[in-house]
Amino acid sequence: MAKFVSSVDFANPYFSVLLLFVIGVGMAVTFVFLSQALGPRRYDRVKYDVYECGVDPFMSASVRISVKFYLVALLFILFDLETAYLYPWAVLFRDLGWFGFAEMAVFLGILVIGLVYVWKKGALDWQ
Amino acid sequence: MALGNLASVSHFLPEFAVTATILLILVVHVAGRNRRSPAPAFLALVGTGAALLCAWLTAPAGAGTGLFQGMVVLDDFAVFFKILTALATIIVIFMSIDCVELQDKSQAEYYVFLLSVLLGMFLLASASDIVMVYLALELVSIPSYLLAGYLKGKESSTEASMKYVVYGATASGVMIYGFSLLYGMTGTTQIAEIGRLLTRGAAPLPVMLAAAMVTVGFGYKIAAVPFHMWSPDVYEGAPTPVTAFLSVGPKAAGFAILVRFFYTVFASPGAAGGTWALSSPVDWTFLFAVLSAVTMTVGNLVAISQQNVKRLLAYSSIAHAGYMLMGFVLLTSVGLEAILFYLVVYLFMNLGAFYVVVLVANGSRSEDISDFAGLGTRAPLAAVALAVFLFALTGIPPFSGFIGKVYLFAEVIHRGVYWLAVVAALNSVVSLYYYARIVKVMFLEGAKTETAPLAVPFVPRVMLTLLVVPTLLLGIYWEPIIRVAEVSVKILTN
Repeated sequence: MAKFVSSVDFANPYFSVLLLFVIGVGMAVTFVFLSQALGPRRYDRVKYDVYECGVDPFMSASVRISVKFYLVALLFILFDLETAYLYPWAVLFRDLGWFGFAEMAVFLGILVIGLVYVWKKGALDWQ
Repeated sequence: MALGNLASVSHFLPEFAVTATILLILVVHVAGRNRRSPAPAFLALVGTGAALLCAWLTAPAGAGTGLFQGMVVLDDFAVFFKILTALATIIVIFMSIDCVELQDKSQAEYYVFLLSVLLGMFLLASASDIVMVYLALELVSIPSYLLAGYLKGKESSTEASMKYVVYGATASGVMIYGFSLLYGMTGTTQIAEIGRLLTRGAAPLPVMLAAAMVTVGFGYKIAAVPFHMWSPDVYEGAPTPVTAFLSVGPKAAGFAILVRFFYTVFASPGAAGGTWALSSPVDWTFLFAVLSAVTMTVGNLVAISQQNVKRLLAYSSIAHAGYMLMGFVLLTSVGLEAILFYLVVYLFMNLGAFYVVVLVANGSRSEDISDFAGLGTRAPLAAVALAVFLFALTGIPPFSGFIGKVYLFAEVIHRGVYWLAVVAALNSVVSLYYYARIVKVMFLEGAKTETAPLAVPFVPRVMLTLLVVPTLLLGIYWEPIIRVAEVSVKILTN
């Protein structure tokens, strides 16, 4: 253990990274407890409002949002990332040659299977 | 040197077999109508078997060939873990087929997730680049989250999945921060290169920070204290075959990368053959020795008070991770061989114990210890098998678990880390209590609610026998496995 502690080099440039880490965690913890300990607690009608310092609420905040949106968003991200891979390949298409083409064909082939799966499962139907 | 992309393809057959099977299962699933058809399970079995065979055929891999420009490496160490994890997957597939809990769930996706984890474990066992390590770890983790929450209607299963995601995301986030420090210090992502550059003298503080952060990521994967908090809830909530899988497969893969990473990056081959020396200014072996002692003690002490068998086995598996860590801190190849041997033994005895839990839970739909009452008369074969597995897990002489522990303890004592050996010995005594309690309930207490004999179909009967045989045999004749382990760790020394 002594060996472990003595191995710490305070002059190291990375020491600041550690310091940042410690101060960051320390501040987060301190402020949570400080506001708990020092903060005044006055519970009145305004305090219990949905949004204390803004416009008066005019409807309930708990609106129902269709769960289907999550599926659409998820699929969008998935197939959107695919294009992120296509762009660099398209730029270097000539340099990569047929091997690059075959690699991309395999990649797209796997994605197509995914697309077919999603389609057949009915994830693309809104109903 | 590392092969290019095209030249690597022919060395990548096990991974291809798994990938092809995953795609094939999806295609067959989409083409067919019946979501409960047994086709996915069958395909998964064939695919995993093929992958195991491919891994086996590439077995004399020697000192290792870098593949895909050094992203992964094909060496005996990787092959050992590929075969181990593929074997675990095959047993888990059989277990899943027999598990009533899973039968009304969609089959195709289940096996796709299972094989995705297997693919991740293959890559994790052979990763030689920190980017690949991270990618492989996520490939193991993400389908694991899905598998843990596979019983959508069951509250504890959803809870398990949620907790697993939160812990997993945090752990891998911390780990990749550690990787970024290593990259910042050396300017390369190759772990062999990082190790070489660190030996040339590095500032101790960032190395220490990086080592600690990487430990979080790997410690979470092997469920070592204090990164074990997720495991009891996940193990209890997940479907039992998944629990069995998580407690063996990803844990083994986690040990693979832990050993490969720390012994390449933070240690270098020592003067004497088969030993390593700390190459970084940080004495991480002491840290891990403490982790090992704490892990086994917490695992065993908390297991005592458990009423749910799955939860009990979860804590027991934490304890076993602690035993295995003993071999990790010694910086000798004999210590590593002991880990590898223990993993093989642990695979059979732990999966076996879970297999019986699946069979009992099929009847009672719960996994309380009281459900095991009178199992000795209700299903003698299953009860005797479970008794064998539990005594093997304890480490009692005629069983293989004993030999596994002997190797670990012997090397710990040989290297003079007496305090650790004492802690481990005391822990083994404690573990006997809770393992033996299940045996006592099975044979000495009469069945309370359910007295009808528990039907054990033909396939589970065969599987249980196949798991009992190595559990007994490796306690008497273990030479071949030790030889394989010796060859597997040899590559790390040069």
